[in-house]
Amino acid sequence: MKSIVKEDLNSFVDALIQDTGYEVHGVQAKGEKFVFAPLESSKDLRLDYDVTILPPKKYFLPQYEDMMNFKLNKEYSVTPQKVDKKQILIGVHPYDIVALEQTDKVYLDEQKDDFYEKRRKNTIIIGVDIQNVSDQSFAGSLGTHYVESGFDLMLTNIGKKYLITIGSKKGEDLLKKYAQTKDAKDTEVKEINKVRANTLNSYKKHVRITDADSWSKLLVSNYENSIWEEKSSKCLECSSCTMVCPTCFCYDVKDDVSLNLQDGSRVRTWDGCLLKDFTKVGSGEVFREDLKKRYRHRFFRKGNYLAERYGFIACVGCGRCSIACLPNIASPCDVINELTHFGGEGKKDEFFIKQKSHSDEKGTIHVPRKAIIKKKEKLTECETLFTLEFEDKKPLGHKPGQFVELSIFGVGEAPFGISSAPSTEPSFDVVVRKVGNLTSKLFTLKKGDSVGIRGPLGNGFDVEEFEDKHLIFVSGGTGMIPMRSLIEHCLDKKNRSKFKYVKILYGAKRPCDVLFQDKIAGWEKCEDVTCKLTVDTCQDGECWVGSVGLVTALFPKLHVDRIDPKNTKAVVIGPPVMFKFVIKCLQTIGIDDKDIFVSLERRMKCGVGKCGHCQINGVYCCKEGPVFNYAEIKNLPEAFE
Amino acid sequence: MSKPKVAFFDFASCEGCQLQIANLEEEVLDLINIVDVVSFREVMKEHVETYDIAFIEGSIMRPMDEERLKEIRNHAKILVALGACAAIGGVNKIRNQWDVDNVKKDVYGNAKIKDNKYFDVFKTKAVDEVVKVDFYIHGCPINRDEFKKVVISLVMGKTPEIPTYPVCVECKKNENVCLFELGKFCIGPITRAGCNAICPSNGSPCEGCRGILNEPQDECVQEILERYDLTIEELKNRCTMYNYGKEECKDE
Repeated sequence: MKSIVKEDLNSFVDALIQDTGYEVHGVQAKGEKFVFAPLESSKDLRLDYDVTILPPKKYFLPQYEDMMNFKLNKEYSVTPQKVDKKQILIGVHPYDIVALEQTDKVYLDEQKDDFYEKRRKNTIIIGVDIQNVSDQSFAGSLGTHYVESGFDLMLTNIGKKYLITIGSKKGEDLLKKYAQTKDAKDTEVKEINKVRANTLNSYKKHVRITDADSWSKLLVSNYENSIWEEKSSKCLECSSCTMVCPTCFCYDVKDDVSLNLQDGSRVRTWDGCLLKDFTKVGSGEVFREDLKKRYRHRFFRKGNYLAERYGFIACVGCGRCSIACLPNIASPCDVINELTHFGGEGKKDEFFIKQKSHSDEKGTIHVPRKAIIKKKEKLTECETLFTLEFEDKKPLGHKPGQFVELSIFGVGEAPFGISSAPSTEPSFDVVVRKVGNLTSKLFTLKKGDSVGIRGPLGNGFDVEEFEDKHLIFVSGGTGMIPMRSLIEHCLDKKNRSKFKYVKILYGAKRPCDVLFQDKIAGWEKCEDVTCKLTVDTCQDGECWVGSVGLVTALFPKLHVDRIDPKNTKAVVIGPPVMFKFVIKCLQTIGIDDKDIFVSLERRMKCGVGKCGHCQINGVYCCKEGPVFNYAEIKNLPEAFE
Repeated sequence: MSKPKVAFFDFASCEGCQLQIANLEEEVLDLINIVDVVSFREVMKEHVETYDIAFIEGSIMRPMDEERLKEIRNHAKILVALGACAAIGGVNKIRNQWDVDNVKKDVYGNAKIKDNKYFDVFKTKAVDEVVKVDFYIHGCPINRDEFKKVVISLVMGKTPEIPTYPVCVECKKNENVCLFELGKFCIGPITRAGCNAICPSNGSPCEGCRGILNEPQDECVQEILERYDLTIEELKNRCTMYNYGKEECKDE
């Protein structure tokens, strides 16, 4: 512990600005508010601030971040953005340090976000103990009004002097080189606790329960509480609460093309779960469309979803959301306190399932690899199959049920289920329905053209679990696309003996929408395989030998008496409306929930559990899914809504 | 790739949105590398009747405007409403608060305009109240960057993406002090973003020139008015500027 007189602290700050070669940012006044901004002189530094408008997350996940630059005049050219700016942040409050450490847990997990990681490494944090408490802050009750670590240096104002707690070698070196300090006296060191106790006494807002477990339980017990409806009826849907939040780190990604049409960049920018289109998928479906559900999601994410996953309350009590929210409905403190009147001893992990291990893509998680279109085959009016292969012919290494993120630079990126069996690697198939910009562009590409691929991503089918079992595969519409990967894997000559009979039920809208007709004809010829097809409608004159009606109507044709439910595994993939009815049929024939597997569709934007778009309650569809065991996911209220 | 032919047309407007395009300055050179501008009264004297993309500035005020607009629609493969007057009616719709004949009397007094088609006005309409609009570039004036993005998208055969989130999102990213905290009434929370919050970032409250996105519920409006000591009249005035006729401007 060191001490420094105030004039010397100013000299230290000025030396940091002038001599270190680092970009120095510090807290400064903006009108009557405060912001982190480039610091030109120690005179502008306001260590007495209460709270900044935006948290320092902007230095690690910038509002607009060029992730990579691409060229459109070359066949396939992409360069990841270099992140080598070294920076010093002066005046970070403890609660913001806690928020950064929470963000680390997500962004520096087994699939590290390389941009974030570099920024974290290149940044020196000089914290300051809180001198003025914001009216809306309740950090005191959460214990985030001080920290023992997470900083390089921590300043504490003890009157005429500042005490400096050294948090890292980097911080220590800076002090040695640029500051006039003395060893702190024992009496001075004791001042720190006094300062922090004073801060704690200054809070006007207090949250009644303060540990992650209790928040979690309380929220789960009150999932259907009327508070969500009442409060959200006052919500403007402006998402200001998420923008200013230090623990909101969801993002969107867009491709920007220059006016010369020759180059561009892929930009990520802050997104918020309160916004209507946050969950919108390519086909136009919006999950969690109801404002009440979006409003509730934010609180659950803070107090239950992240809390269960990582063990912390993903709210540090800074109060920024309450300041930003015009109708004053954003404060987690107010909501939690109100909920305590209702009490709750819910099963706190109800909306969360254990994370499955899944393939870990090496290298950067954001920059795609070049893949070549080996074959393009029109399957139906709307769907076309693309056979792809990495340029370096390395296998994708996928399991049935996994997906890839496919990029066309200048247009964007979207997830596609892999449709081919692992045995066809190094080439692999995706089947694409023309719905938006990316898919329309993809349709214009030819054999030999290149696209970007990230993956395989997500949790696929654990095919070993299916061995020695009878199998029932039920698909609806485009659900057949990922199902084909699983079917062909199981019917592969090398694997066939591992599985018992295979029953395939498949429903499409019209006869002309039926995918893989020739493949299906091949499957039917295999031993112990039954294929039953149905269409919703069949126009006069259309050639169709299958059934007409919903896919559930095929179940009676399964010869139920010959099904051995205890030794059967069933897989269901289809549009959201289909699941409920098909699963009911499966249950009726005696198949246990734990023997039913589903693959769900959500907006899987990053594919690595960061951007937040694909969340089904506390579950990331892109990580724990898209393949789920039905027994595990059936209680998630958002799964089959 | 052959360059799409682009034409600009103006109706009741200040032509400020076209001026924004003229103000692209050296970038105009990039622009004419990717499109072929065949008609643009503000910057060139040539005019050709064949074009792929028509940009329409201004609101529709008279039967003769309607005829001309329909003609343009027939010629154009893609029709884009350029700026608030075209996209939502904008300031020209303020006039719709009053009876057309009274407005004429107020403005022209006893001048003889009765059989003059140029003065034969009806209630102001946005472009999409007359013909189908394929894409919108919002704002008063338009944001040049957004205009460029839309042109790039159209040339690349993409559907332009226009924000569906409110100005607050951009305003917060710019780290502005919220204007409500300065005692000003801003309708950024309910206005479509895409302007990079240019007004609030420069201390002026949002007037809603890019159109209202969400209609907040009454409970919400009440709460905010009370909390910030504002009146419903202020809200109405704010919404009337560009969004007259929208639901939320109804009386209490």
